[in-house]
Amino acid sequence: VNFGTVALDDPHQRFARDVDAFLAAHVTTEILGLERDSGDGFDERLYRALGSRGWIMPRWPAEVGGAGLDPLSAHILSVKLTASRAPLNPLGTTRMVWEAIERYMPAGWVAEFRPKVAAGAVRFCLGYSDPEGGSDIAGAHLRAVRRGGTWLLNGAKMFTTGAQNCQYVFLITRTDPDAPKHRGLTMFLVPLSSPGIEIQAIRTFGGERTNAVYYTDVSVPDRYRVGAVDDGWSVLHTPLDQEHHVGQETDGLQDQSLGRAFLRHLEAAYTAALPWLAARGAEETPSAPSALCYRVGEIAMEIEAATGAPGAGGRILGAETTIRGVAALTDLVGVAAMLPRGVPGAIGDGEIEFMHRFAQGTTIYAGTTEVFRGIVARQLGLPDLDLPGRRKYLRPQTIPQR
Amino acid sequence: MDDRKAAMNAELRYQDYSLDDEEEAVRATFERFFRVECPSSRVREAEPVGFDPRLWEKLAATGAVPDPLGGDAGGEAPTLVHLALIAEELGRVLAPVPFISHAVTARLLARVTSARDDGVPAGEPITLAHRPVTGTGRQLVPDAAVCRSVVALVDDELVLCVSGRPAPHARNQGSTPLGDWGVSHDMRRVRLAGGAEARRLHELALREWRLLMAAALVGLVRGALRLAVDFAKTRTTMGVPIGALQGISFQLADVAIAMDAARHLVWRAAWFMDHEPAQAGQLPGLAYAYACRAATTGAVSAVHVQGGLGFTVEADSSLYFRRSKGWSLLGGDPGVILTQAGAQLLAAAGARIPEAGTPVVRGLPQ
Repeated sequence: VNFGTVALDDPHQRFARDVDAFLAAHVTTEILGLERDSGDGFDERLYRALGSRGWIMPRWPAEVGGAGLDPLSAHILSVKLTASRAPLNPLGTTRMVWEAIERYMPAGWVAEFRPKVAAGAVRFCLGYSDPEGGSDIAGAHLRAVRRGGTWLLNGAKMFTTGAQNCQYVFLITRTDPDAPKHRGLTMFLVPLSSPGIEIQAIRTFGGERTNAVYYTDVSVPDRYRVGAVDDGWSVLHTPLDQEHHVGQETDGLQDQSLGRAFLRHLEAAYTAALPWLAARGAEETPSAPSALCYRVGEIAMEIEAATGAPGAGGRILGAETTIRGVAALTDLVGVAAMLPRGVPGAIGDGEIEFMHRFAQGTTIYAGTTEVFRGIVARQLGLPDLDLPGRRKYLRPQTIPQR
Repeated sequence: MDDRKAAMNAELRYQDYSLDDEEEAVRATFERFFRVECPSSRVREAEPVGFDPRLWEKLAATGAVPDPLGGDAGGEAPTLVHLALIAEELGRVLAPVPFISHAVTARLLARVTSARDDGVPAGEPITLAHRPVTGTGRQLVPDAAVCRSVVALVDDELVLCVSGRPAPHARNQGSTPLGDWGVSHDMRRVRLAGGAEARRLHELALREWRLLMAAALVGLVRGALRLAVDFAKTRTTMGVPIGALQGISFQLADVAIAMDAARHLVWRAAWFMDHEPAQAGQLPGLAYAYACRAATTGAVSAVHVQGGLGFTVEADSSLYFRRSKGWSLLGGDPGVILTQAGAQLLAAAGARIPEAGTPVVRGLPQ
């Protein structure tokens, strides 16, 4: 157990200043404003600039495009990037997918792509959820049928966030509809420039842009297959475990769970609301005085508890605390909390208004909280419920229409 | 933009919740100790007072119980992190020993030099009166029914009060040695500190008490949850174990999630109190409030999942339920603690602080 400050020696202090200077130069107010308006999650120049420093894959040696950073430097970089709110969505998905590529793709392929990925020229997004499937990604319907040396893809995926900014989608397909659910899946790295792919923007009320991606007779050469045919579930697990923070080594620096990232959004709203509430007090806010103090204390308690909550439970607490906490802050602030950025009287440049919307996605994306409650239940030793579609692939009742 | 800069310049801290070798040894030792020494039959036998003298002796013999004279065997006094690990294992089996009261009172006495000379009865458990004493007013003091020595804040002085016998037991839902205690003339009284120093020492001891109680409550939830999980695995309905149904499994998952979060919050609060007390801030109180909530909901769910059987006196879950409030209430209303924490946080964010030192949010009644 240790929560002490990390002593930074001179080289690490210099590195921290170097990162600060980079962020000050590249993560401009303009970029942040554009991001708030567009929810695109990406800025090409910023991403490439990051790549030119070797910071897309910072632990990789410089010879292959990384920066050869030690773990502490990489952590400093990560903390500062997060705090800067730089729109770098493809970074996370690209790193996740790379884990699977390195393990399952041929050496030549890996060698060719490594520098491109590190430079920021090649980026990956995730094609997991079917329109009818949601979090049940092993129930994927999108069909891949072999035709000699190529595969023919037909179907659709929802929530392929970042597809408009990436070159390849890491796609889960159904290759054997007659096999047990998890055994009939195959993964592909599909070039998003392929004929027959149509990317349609979808807006969330959290302000983010995501996509529906339609695949109509998309032809994919077999060399883009990742891992063995019908072995997609094993392939998927490499990046999925990373996404779920499962079984990772820790050096005592990392967050306890994915939920910690969600909580930073609540903390942003809290940081905006607290001085406002303190300056006005209960006379000018809707809350009664002792209720105001009590609820601030309660929000603080829930943030502190969720911050250290480990694993799957931490992911749930992080999300649900964020939703509850922002809602409580809006109660305390009153109607001013509903004023968006740019409207006179908006608090913290509309931070609370934004976070109240944004928070709602946190119990859904990267697997719903129900998925994670199921994981916690299994860790407790509770038995699985043997539902009809748990192991068996159930064909869709309707074929998705364009 | 300012917030971003502040966040970027925030100091970097470890977030290391792993136990080092020494901590793991403490945890494992006392996991085994309490498992072997304190089956639920022992808990029942110790009712209604809630004290097992033989268990207390054995626990004291392990060297885990802090010495009020500050002369702990082996040189170094146990840290709060170590004490929290022990308290969790104690809570898991509902061990009927006044460990928490004794540990924090002993630590308090060890901070006050005069206690060394004036003597605390050796080998006996000691306890702490939580509410300030005015005149001869009586109060319910945790563990005072089995402790002759009580440290109390009497008329703004910190006093060690030693009686000929422990206070009368106040029978209570939690089967704890709650004593109906008050200052009387036949007590030997040793003045330990006065004024601001007395209040500071008393408040610190209360903070430690709440912290260790929070740890014990984490253990209590763990014990109750284990009973409920075992039941849910074997009890079937409509052909499946009830634990496979999400109405049950999600409820128990939530208990586990709150328990794990509470444990880590307790460890973090304990670490800060050990190493950087000035930075501990509201953490001990928040840990206490959170653990109280986790214990309340956890014990309720553990009973509920076992249905009517969990509601019977024979079910061990009844032991856990009765202590979930019976133990935690002794530390005060978590709502008050949260209100105070919120006032402090608002004050730190710029709310007015009058000269009296009590942070006040504008509009808050004085």
